[in-house]
Amino acid sequence: MENDKLKLEDLLNDSSHNENAAQFEYVAIIGAGIMGQGIAQTVAAAGIDTVIIEKDEHHLDEAKKQMENRMNHEIERWAMTESEKKAILGRINWQLDIDEASECDLIIEAIVENYQLKRILFKKLDEIADPDTILVSNTSTLSLTNIAQVTNRKDKIIGMHFLNPVPKVPLVELVKGMDTSDETVAKTKEFAQKIGKTAIEVYEYPGFVTTRAIVPLLNEAMHILLEGIASAKDIDTAMKLGYNFPMGPLELADSMGLEEVLTWMEQLYKTLGEPRYRPCPLLRKYVRERKLGKKTGEGFFKYDTDGHIIHKD
Amino acid sequence: MKVLVLNCGSSSIKYQLIETEVGEVLAKGQIERIGMSSAVLTHQPKDKEQIRIVGEILDHSIAMEYVIAVLLSPNHGVLTNKNEIDAVGHRVVHGGETFSGSVLITDEVLKALKDNIELAPLHNPPNLNGIAAAKEHLPNIPQCGVFDTAFHAQMPPHAFLYGIPFKLYKRYKIRRYGFHGTSHRFVSERAAAIIGKPLEELKIITAHLGNGGSMAAIKYGKSIDTTMGFTPLEGLLMGTRSGDLDPSIITYVMGKEELSISEVNTMLNKHSGLAGISGESSDMREIEQAVKEGDKKANYAFDVFNYRIKKYVGAYSAAMNGVDAIVFTGGIGENSPTVRNAVCSEMDFLGIKLDPELNENPTGEAIISSSNSNVKVLRIPTNEELVIAMDTKEIVEEHKK
Repeated sequence: MENDKLKLEDLLNDSSHNENAAQFEYVAIIGAGIMGQGIAQTVAAAGIDTVIIEKDEHHLDEAKKQMENRMNHEIERWAMTESEKKAILGRINWQLDIDEASECDLIIEAIVENYQLKRILFKKLDEIADPDTILVSNTSTLSLTNIAQVTNRKDKIIGMHFLNPVPKVPLVELVKGMDTSDETVAKTKEFAQKIGKTAIEVYEYPGFVTTRAIVPLLNEAMHILLEGIASAKDIDTAMKLGYNFPMGPLELADSMGLEEVLTWMEQLYKTLGEPRYRPCPLLRKYVRERKLGKKTGEGFFKYDTDGHIIHKD
Repeated sequence: MKVLVLNCGSSSIKYQLIETEVGEVLAKGQIERIGMSSAVLTHQPKDKEQIRIVGEILDHSIAMEYVIAVLLSPNHGVLTNKNEIDAVGHRVVHGGETFSGSVLITDEVLKALKDNIELAPLHNPPNLNGIAAAKEHLPNIPQCGVFDTAFHAQMPPHAFLYGIPFKLYKRYKIRRYGFHGTSHRFVSERAAAIIGKPLEELKIITAHLGNGGSMAAIKYGKSIDTTMGFTPLEGLLMGTRSGDLDPSIITYVMGKEELSISEVNTMLNKHSGLAGISGESSDMREIEQAVKEGDKKANYAFDVFNYRIKKYVGAYSAAMNGVDAIVFTGGIGENSPTVRNAVCSEMDFLGIKLDPELNENPTGEAIISSSNSNVKVLRIPTNEELVIAMDTKEIVEEHKK
């Protein structure tokens, strides 16, 4: 259409009125794993343009497919509409080139939990991003203070610990490192609110609030089972009905992935050093047998392909 | 008087510049996709070519700036100076219990509007943004608010109370509010004019059938009941909204399908109605087409849609102890002879008889019932913008005195 050539700026005498505009217009997510996808979907759903950056074509394509499949599933269960899905996908840019992140107002790292890789990435991001841009890490185990050391903006490094599935869990833990400034915390909090998450502030410390409080509870439930005090089903029923847990602790462990739970217990045990964080032998046994929970179809319970418990009557 | 009528949604602004002396639209248009890099402005000046512009518009304030700029533009505009705009009229969705009529927007009114945000979390915040934007760019020009709920604000308690603990009404203002008030009011006034009787002597049932739909029982010029309730979800079957249903279904489905509160809201608001039953479309034209092709589920959707309207015609006739006129308006009400026919068929006990010919090809505002029908049936295109402009003019003139 001919009129499309008309620019909005032509209507006004100047085009310098964008100064007070919102701060977060374009957000980069580095890493298209399950967390990266979830974060990107959440950000895009809030109406913010998003770019997901991955290292190779294959991972990028896989991620795109997985995200679409998950949204299709949500549409089938009436929790989302086709047009919402289109709007979300329309706002996500899929990229292999890390330099695209230099255009962004906020950069969120969600790559594998590997200290060396993260340090390399943050050094690179520090070089290419605008000096005022906040760099966020989604790490749940590594020290932000240490990661921040490789950058020239230690005050602008912060953690955002999202919980899986990101689009559905309305909580995010803002993790403050030693050098994180109050301004960075305030801005990140504003961003969290913009994408519909309630933010709580935590200091960098193993497990933050969520993991630290829940994982030992799962471990305790496993001990109850190991000691023959109650059946797995009854333990879960007790906690669901007794304390209004939406899911019992053993099923919750199964859905988190038992190897994940084990890693966490070991991490807490190692860093905090107290015997109460010692992983339950039953947990070790299941992980050794590769019974990892919902994803393998068996953990403390057996699961069908939809992740529902198969009850043997 | 030149009134700029604004309808601000979360990512859109619709505008019309209306000369109230003759009720003429000087220009109209809309900005869509506000907040995105590819916002679209469509502008239609009277007697000139339509233009469409794409660009980045980040918020309502900037959007407002563009609306004014395009109205002033030498090639596409209709004004030479923005002071030619005499007043701004805003459509505001929810007036709560505070507003029973249109008002001049003052600081107190703004505060009351903010207090009502909880009742219309989706609609009132963008309305407020629009008011702020208009204030910023058109300072010193009076602004008025015209509420969707106002026309229904005088319903009697027996129509607006729900059968739940009274404390919930006191605590959270849970009651029937009703919506589309501006439209119901406009078409009932027009109906009285066409019939040639004073509105104060008529019992009228209005059916505003668009993508959302509601009916109102208008006795002697006052809305005494309406189908939409606390939110626009209650009442008629709509494009994607369920309308009336047994409230237990909600908790039952939440349990069975493991849906959260927000998910079940999406189910009821976006996956139900015509689209939900037919599994095909939320668009009545497509439903009618599918019915012709023998689609069973589309047929169910079509029947449920019409049956529910018919039920409310009966209910409201009883509520008013009679009915003199039934008015169809809104996209479906104005354009679907099939729906009007289905609703009005086998209603001769009430004295309703459609004229098939008139129903099939009505032009403009028209009576479509046969001459021996005791109840007049009318098809009247709604014009909410005109009502907003006229109300604004009246309030501003009153205020100047």
